[in-house]
Amino acid sequence: MYLALKEMARSKVRFGLLVAAIALLVFLILFQQSLQNGLITGFIGAIRNQNSPVLVYSVDGQRVIQGSVLTPDLEAAARGVDGVGEVGRIGQGTFTALPTAERLGGASETFDTSVIGYDLGEDGRGLGSPTSLSAGRYPAADNEAVASSSDQASGFDLGDTIRILPGDEVITIVGLADDAQLNVTPTLFASYTTYEAAVASANPDARGLLPNVLAMAPAEGTTPEQLVANVNAASPDLDALTRADAEANTPGVSQVRQSFQLIFLLYGLVVPCVTGLFFLIVTFQKANTLTLLRAVGAPSSRLVGSLLAQVALILGSGIALGALLYYPISQQRLGGIQLRFETSAAIFWAVLLLVLGVGSALLAARRVLAIDPIEATTGAGVGR
Amino acid sequence: MKLALREMRRRPSRFVTATVILSLIAALLMLLGGLLDGLIRSSTGALRAQQAQAIVYSSTSQASLVRSRVDPDVRQAIEQIDGVTAVGGLGSAQLGARVPGNGPRDLADVALFGYELAPDGVPDPPADGQAYADEILKADGVTEGMTIQLGPARTPVEIVGFVKDTAYNGQGSLWASAATWRSVLLANRPDAQLADGVFQALIVQGDADIAGRIDEATGGATESLTVTEAVNAIPGVKEQQSTFNQIIGVTIVIALVVIALFFALLTVERSGMYGVLKALGARSGTLFGGVVVQAVVVTAIASVLAAALMVLLDALIPPGSIPLQITPVRIVLSAVLLLVAAIAGCLFSLRRVLRVDPASAIGTTV
Repeated sequence: MYLALKEMARSKVRFGLLVAAIALLVFLILFQQSLQNGLITGFIGAIRNQNSPVLVYSVDGQRVIQGSVLTPDLEAAARGVDGVGEVGRIGQGTFTALPTAERLGGASETFDTSVIGYDLGEDGRGLGSPTSLSAGRYPAADNEAVASSSDQASGFDLGDTIRILPGDEVITIVGLADDAQLNVTPTLFASYTTYEAAVASANPDARGLLPNVLAMAPAEGTTPEQLVANVNAASPDLDALTRADAEANTPGVSQVRQSFQLIFLLYGLVVPCVTGLFFLIVTFQKANTLTLLRAVGAPSSRLVGSLLAQVALILGSGIALGALLYYPISQQRLGGIQLRFETSAAIFWAVLLLVLGVGSALLAARRVLAIDPIEATTGAGVGR
Repeated sequence: MKLALREMRRRPSRFVTATVILSLIAALLMLLGGLLDGLIRSSTGALRAQQAQAIVYSSTSQASLVRSRVDPDVRQAIEQIDGVTAVGGLGSAQLGARVPGNGPRDLADVALFGYELAPDGVPDPPADGQAYADEILKADGVTEGMTIQLGPARTPVEIVGFVKDTAYNGQGSLWASAATWRSVLLANRPDAQLADGVFQALIVQGDADIAGRIDEATGGATESLTVTEAVNAIPGVKEQQSTFNQIIGVTIVIALVVIALFFALLTVERSGMYGVLKALGARSGTLFGGVVVQAVVVTAIASVLAAALMVLLDALIPPGSIPLQITPVRIVLSAVLLLVAAIAGCLFSLRRVLRVDPASAIGTTV
């Protein structure tokens, strides 16, 4: 062990470069893990964290809320199926919004903003509302809204007012919900009437506004899956999904996951390859020294132990440095995407890379075990 | 140089692992670049194809087609500006399309454009009720002469031909007359309908610097962008470009470090041999040149392997899943970046090569 540390101290550049390579790889893996999760949460957080167990789209909507339109006959067909407990309308649009909070100092930056309109119910917790709030209260009247909490700094904080452009429709934020963005934009949950008014404000030519989606809760004794089956059987033009399926099947989500998995696979392969190659070459270079050590009585297990200690130390340092580099980045926002330090992902990758890295060094360990002390008298080493 | 190449021929196994690692890194670079190209291409084609000096949106629309509405009086004001040669309306509607032969729930995502001035590669507007389709819709079973049905109202549109590279927001585009677009919107998205004469955007041809003058003439009612600005204003485009480019940059740094590490180790191993060669009159420059040649050869082989892997991957990925676009330009660019990183990485070995003392050759075993 002492020898292993001494060698590392004497060859700082060599080992330093390896630590740097591993640290950069770990940093990239963790950063992209955050990016993937942040992107998906930004895309569909508002679906994942709303309280309706079943969402009914029109098939034409292709599982995009804004793209779906439920004509009166489709709405009636969905409402009429067996097992329906509660039903509410959901309308969603993307609008140009101007935060008007005084603390912004008159800044006039506008934002693409999603407005999700739902039937408020008695306490503002109607179907389609956020499952929980991180601050404030649910809307109790028109022109009040719960906003996605990640956009507080942009003027979407508690008590702030938002003006929908063009027009004079003003919405006051009365509550905040975590991870509640849709389409990576600031998102407002308001009454259905507020949504209708926002549409009329932005497009005076709009006529005959229809709900995009129906939010449904099953009646007692019916599961969400049964309700989904019942609705889908009612009309080939209806597309009912459980909340989890609606989240997973939103266009783009699976493509994002697949793309990142491919990237992670390649990065995950590079780390053990680099580690394995490095220690294999170093073992070749040390062949004569290792043979001599074996000849003077050093057991193989000690030499292999030293090698594995070096591998673990290098990997540990690289992973720790990579995580340290990642920490400040993980506190930032990237465009509309809120990044965060993913502790479980960091632990998962640290363990995986450590196991793969140590595994890749077993090739070098095998070489060490193959050393015959008698070679010291002939001048041949493991590398010959 | 000869010596370096001969060593690679005689002891290829020494370079195999480094080649494998660099192939993985090269594949990563090409994959990241290919994903970026695929995402951008599938999001921006419809705007990139516009033959315009300015694309005019309403000022509060954030350059979003669906939120923009330009009234006829604004259009009239723009047509009267000196230097404007042609003005055409543009509108869009994103809908599901029922394709004959596909299942009742198996719809194609389409973006229908109503246009007056033909974009690059798109013929003049067809007769009402007809449309040109982007060729990516062929993957959904769309063929020439077929009539597809758009939206919940099942508005029929006949496909009269195909056009290339005009996708929008990841959807295959359809190019139809303004009247067809307006009728489809009215039947399927009454909430998004626009009055006669109102368009979502205007395509303006004329002087190169016309964009600024348009916004002046309309008194700030419009936001006029060049085609490049309009493409970059599509939500996510700039963010995707900057994020992917940063990741590609760090991956190149990793390649540089890996190459530096590998050749630093090889140089340490060869110190004795370098001492003998120097004692025989070889210059440091020649020896370092050999290291660079080996790095370039390893990188070139790795790039070729990675390119083959990516072309294979591109062929295997089913249309509509991962938005990967592998182009010769991206492959060459990735290879060049990797070569630069390889040469830079070799510089770490330069100091060690320079430090080798010819006198060390005396009494050493090579």
